[in-house]
Amino acid sequence: MADYKLIGKNYTTPDILAKVTGRAKYAEDFRAEGMLFAKLLVSPMPHARVRRLDTSAAMAMPGVEAILTADELPEAEAPQEAGLTNEPLYEGEPILAIAAVDEETAAEAIEAVQIDFEPLPFVLDPMDSLRPGGPNARLDGNTMAGRDLSTIKWDSVDWSEVDRGIMPLGGEVTDEWQVGDVEAGFAEADLILDESVFSASLSHQPLETRTAMAYWQNGKCFMHCSTQSTARTEGGMARWIGIDPTDLVLIAEYCGGGFGSKISSSIQARIPALLSRKAGKPVMMRVTRQEENFFGRARPGIQARAKFGFKSDGRVVAIDLTMVQDGGPYGRSGDYMSCADQASLMYQPEHMRVRGMTVYTNTPPRGAQRAPGGVQAVAMFAPIVDKAARQLDLDRLDIIHTNAPQGQALFGRPRQGRQGNVSSAFPKEAIDKAREEFDWEGMKARSGQRNGSKVTGVGVAISSYSAGTSGVDGLLVIRPDGMVEIHTGVGNLGTESFSDTSRAAMEALDTPWEQAEVVWGDTSKHLPWSAIQGGSQTTHGHTRSNWAAGLEAKKRLQEIAADRFGGSADSFEVGNGRVFRRGNRGQAMTFGQAAERAIQLGGVYDGSQLPEDINEMTTRSATALAGRGLVVAAKDNFETGGRNMSFCIGFAEVEVDTETGAVVLKDYKVASDAGTVLHPQNFAGQVHGGGIQGFGVALGQKWVMDPQWGLHVAKRFYSNRPPTILDAPHDQELAWSVADEPDPFNPLGAKGIGEAPVGAGAGAVLNAISDALGGNVDFNRSPIMGDMILTMLNPELDEAHNKLSTHV
Amino acid sequence: MELFQWGTNPWGQETLIRVSWDLLYLFFWAGIAFIVFHVVYAAVWLPKLARANGGQEEAAAAAGIPETIERHTLWARIFHWVMAASMLVLLVTGFFPIIGVQFAWVTIHWIAGIVLTISILYHIVHATFYLDFWSIWILPDDMDEAVQRVKRQMGQEASEIKKHGKYPLDHKLFHTAVMLAGLAVIGTGLVMMFRIENALVPRNAYLLSEPTWGLMYTLHGLGAVLFVMLTLTHIYFAIRPDKFWLTKSMLFGSVERERYLDHHDPDRWVVNKESASKS
Amino acid sequence: MAVIRDKMPAFQLFQPASTEEALGVLDQYGADAWVLAGGLDTWDWLKDRVKKPAAVVDLGGVSELSEIRSLGGGLEIGAMATLRDVIRHPEVSEQFSMLADSASQAASPQIQNQGTLGGNVGQDTRCWYYRDGWSCYRAGGNICYADTPTAMNREHAILGASRCVAVNPSDTAPVLVALDAEMVVRNSTGERVIPAQDFFIGPAVDIMRMTALQPGDILTSIRIPWTWANTRFYFEKARDRAVWDFPLANVASAAKISNGVVEDIRIVANGVAPYPVRFLAAEDAVRGRQVGQAVAMEAGELAINGVRPLRHNAYKVTLLRNLVKRSVQGAEA
Repeated sequence: MADYKLIGKNYTTPDILAKVTGRAKYAEDFRAEGMLFAKLLVSPMPHARVRRLDTSAAMAMPGVEAILTADELPEAEAPQEAGLTNEPLYEGEPILAIAAVDEETAAEAIEAVQIDFEPLPFVLDPMDSLRPGGPNARLDGNTMAGRDLSTIKWDSVDWSEVDRGIMPLGGEVTDEWQVGDVEAGFAEADLILDESVFSASLSHQPLETRTAMAYWQNGKCFMHCSTQSTARTEGGMARWIGIDPTDLVLIAEYCGGGFGSKISSSIQARIPALLSRKAGKPVMMRVTRQEENFFGRARPGIQARAKFGFKSDGRVVAIDLTMVQDGGPYGRSGDYMSCADQASLMYQPEHMRVRGMTVYTNTPPRGAQRAPGGVQAVAMFAPIVDKAARQLDLDRLDIIHTNAPQGQALFGRPRQGRQGNVSSAFPKEAIDKAREEFDWEGMKARSGQRNGSKVTGVGVAISSYSAGTSGVDGLLVIRPDGMVEIHTGVGNLGTESFSDTSRAAMEALDTPWEQAEVVWGDTSKHLPWSAIQGGSQTTHGHTRSNWAAGLEAKKRLQEIAADRFGGSADSFEVGNGRVFRRGNRGQAMTFGQAAERAIQLGGVYDGSQLPEDINEMTTRSATALAGRGLVVAAKDNFETGGRNMSFCIGFAEVEVDTETGAVVLKDYKVASDAGTVLHPQNFAGQVHGGGIQGFGVALGQKWVMDPQWGLHVAKRFYSNRPPTILDAPHDQELAWSVADEPDPFNPLGAKGIGEAPVGAGAGAVLNAISDALGGNVDFNRSPIMGDMILTMLNPELDEAHNKLSTHV
Repeated sequence: MELFQWGTNPWGQETLIRVSWDLLYLFFWAGIAFIVFHVVYAAVWLPKLARANGGQEEAAAAAGIPETIERHTLWARIFHWVMAASMLVLLVTGFFPIIGVQFAWVTIHWIAGIVLTISILYHIVHATFYLDFWSIWILPDDMDEAVQRVKRQMGQEASEIKKHGKYPLDHKLFHTAVMLAGLAVIGTGLVMMFRIENALVPRNAYLLSEPTWGLMYTLHGLGAVLFVMLTLTHIYFAIRPDKFWLTKSMLFGSVERERYLDHHDPDRWVVNKESASKS
Repeated sequence: MAVIRDKMPAFQLFQPASTEEALGVLDQYGADAWVLAGGLDTWDWLKDRVKKPAAVVDLGGVSELSEIRSLGGGLEIGAMATLRDVIRHPEVSEQFSMLADSASQAASPQIQNQGTLGGNVGQDTRCWYYRDGWSCYRAGGNICYADTPTAMNREHAILGASRCVAVNPSDTAPVLVALDAEMVVRNSTGERVIPAQDFFIGPAVDIMRMTALQPGDILTSIRIPWTWANTRFYFEKARDRAVWDFPLANVASAAKISNGVVEDIRIVANGVAPYPVRFLAAEDAVRGRQVGQAVAMEAGELAINGVRPLRHNAYKVTLLRNLVKRSVQGAEA
């Protein structure tokens, strides 16, 4: 790694003290004078139409101040949602909201609403909707074909196969692509595995629900909400409320987790804003845990048929995928497409064909969840590659290494007949390093060890996902007091990248972090146009933008110094909070002095004159900051070279009790290729936090729904079983290692690390369970729970469900 | 007082669950009220039957009417007592938990129900093919007589009333009520077997639609609370001294010729030597 | 009327300082009163507005109810002693380590700090249909939604069901039955002592209650006789998650063993039936015999005699058989 002063060093992030002392204010913690509380009336049915609605009794109750119904919202264009509806498409979909002086009154008012629903046909399992004569989740169709809602039924497939858990081939799909010639690929394969596989839908479950509070002052809407991004929430939120972005003040300094479900906050946040305008008072809508489970988004489940062709050396020569994604009732989430892209990247098949579609169901709306599609890819396909290694008598880490991409490998869906390339890929290097560091041979030696009824299993899996964007803006102000204000619009999801990436600017200025102040999370504080805090975009994107701003600031400082002391700008250097003449440190200005000079100079120095290429939002913010010091706005114009991708390789060791089906995770290590590590502590938090989320995918997080009524039965926080910290191995500290290969298209070599860790955790644990059971088991679905293990081990037990069953 | 118990289904829609158990108390007290009324009525108002059969005895003997006459065959009696026992078990197991006496009742209840069902099936076949089928049904004549009896009772002029056949109208009415309530509880009870664990049919709560199930439970409950009243009054009559000869006949099978001649019209209940009690 | 969940309605809160005072309030409100111990069961019900008591009687201020003390015949644990109190109490650990063990596996560390022993044994079932307010048998309706041809019943009963197939989820209850504990119950008319085994009742007897507690009753303490103190204990809980999870099944056994021969044993499991089930036939089969694989297997087989698995929980039969087997073999095996 290059010799950095800040990059790659641990430090205390500016938000952490407030978080651990409880001083940090999340959306729910704000109060405003005369504030009302809103409660929602949500659908008790999976699909229905409001037949009769009488709110007179509710509105007559003392303390009830306003009501908002779906009729008062602009109609959403299908398949998008409006936030409130008269035709709920899933259990728990909000119908109306009532604001009252307190929540008790609001809840009682909801109970006083006379409402009558007409039940409509519903469907929970995409397969049921594809069956000829099967119900559609939406009255206007069951899938999106291109830009249109349409209905597809699979008339020609053998449905008795589906009843036995076999994913049928030959049904019509909406999306298809191919590279090479899969048939030719399979013809040259030495081993073909053809499996039906399933990955379950699961909720995001952030600890902070999507609560929001809003009030209006002098025509401006002040919104306290929970969001992952700040700059990228402003426009959408303003549109939802129906105002100009300049009339919105968005305050969201802290976010209690989002995992992709709050990338641009949530449409439900419009409800308190509109209620507040109607009532003329501030309105707080605290979203309950149960409501969060209903409309807080979820990862889509995927039912797939995966055919993999291998050469005898383990090389994947052909992949043929048929995927049906459980799309929930709204939107156009395309996890299956990124699932295919990741399979293409991780296994690098020469020949690949993908057929897939999203089918709408009357289950909660789906959204991006930490490595959308990527986690499903690993959960479904890693066990197949693992199985191939056993059948070809290969080392299970070797087969991953053999197929892993290298350099600027091509992958994914071809555009104009050509696949795109990854900006950098060093998973092979990460594996080589981890093989030694993690003692893979030692791990393998423990595989199959028995301790009474407990058997040790060892699993390894590779996972990849997107790791960055480019072209966003940096904005900083060097103030007359010498402090460097680094403005960032990325939001504070909890990954700390809003701060970690700000350090790029200080690194460029070669100035201690103590002299920096990060400004974030409040649009009234003038934030630049930023990347979404999602898809692991920020680390790569904002090290670039802040590096650009830092370099630009450095240049202006040099110019100011040259102006003051004479000579050329490049005879001055910047460091330690000063700009000074090379070789004559006596000719120096502090940042404070330079800032005062910048104000006097005006023009490009104090923000009065701004670059043309920056985003309008950045221009607005920089203009507002103009005259406060040396104001620098810069667009990231650094070279790009392909899609930014990170890689993780998870190593799990489990103990499976063959008499109880209990799985105990004994150890978990992760190797990664994520470029330069910005902040090691935080990096560890990402790779292991993501890993734990993956354990949930592998070991138990799921929905359970009653098919007769179409309702959730496991919607409590404890009953849908997200993993807890005590599910993580705790006998020793969890190890991690990095390839430490900088990405060539980032000035600091940084790549994001938010997403790839989840799949690694899931895949490694799934493979470890199989390994403990002797390897030749085919659960072919996730999560794997104790009952499935006991059923697998005791053939006399009937399977309660088949491999493709959803929500069981 | 509620007539029905309503609940909500998982979708929050109102659905019929069963009859309100208020009806249990209503029918219980209605039965008691009837008994009290009848005790008073019998003591102060019921016209005493004149012993108007002087000389009939010899004629009867001459006509070959035996001294003891079989009223209920052994099989009929066995049926009656099996049915009575199962009915009592059903009432106790069905209602005691509701009034607060708790015990494991469901298995006993459904087994008693099956016993009742079999005994009723037997009874239907037996009565149809081996007994005087029409003797227990309410026929047009019965209605006529009923009108005349009421008229006489009210002191109005009435035509002469003949004695009963084998079963007086009140017995026939009781039988009809028992039959209707019995069919209701048995028919619904058999279907309700699908809602409980039992050895005969698999559980399937979705065998019928929700409203149909509500109707099943309601009919079962209605029949059952009716049985509370019917059983109370039936036992009351069975232990009344003036009716005890009938109870005895259900125990031992026969009535004395004297009772026969007192209460029955030999033309309507034809008795001959073959009718002599075999016991 | 529209339905709203996850928002606690208003109620009258009583915080008595003595048991007498608490009983007075319970008498006043009858069936409309709700006894609050640690609140882990209670707040769920109240927040979902499925149960709406008029009065909540918080026993948290009745200090006499949280004492743990040695009596002549055994140990008396106040019903309001927290699970943490139980885990940390030296005499519990020394004499009845299995109770501390089971308490430390209940729920989560945070819940152990707040939850009480009385609350843990008195808790209602976690059947997800019933808890979600579906008007099933247990809620006064006429249907069991968990045992239909399409029901989701992976976590339901394989034994002892009667119309309702919900299970008792307590981890400490089977231990107390195995230790032959007694439950001390008070109401305004006096005190009664109920053997733990009779304290838990199944739906066959009363489909709307899990225990012998009636409106107006308070479980004041639990007495564990010295009879089974320091015998060979075995407790195991099978669950999906390492923490904050109810048992798929658990087993508790106490055995008096001398020279490898089982003189006496009590084996109880929970999570498989609506009440902690004691396996008398298995106990009989084991008594008087040498501890070993064969006798343990036999006990396991006897324990699953008469099971009636549902569509999604056949695995519990195997699980129960194996747990009972292990409880006979002991932890050393």
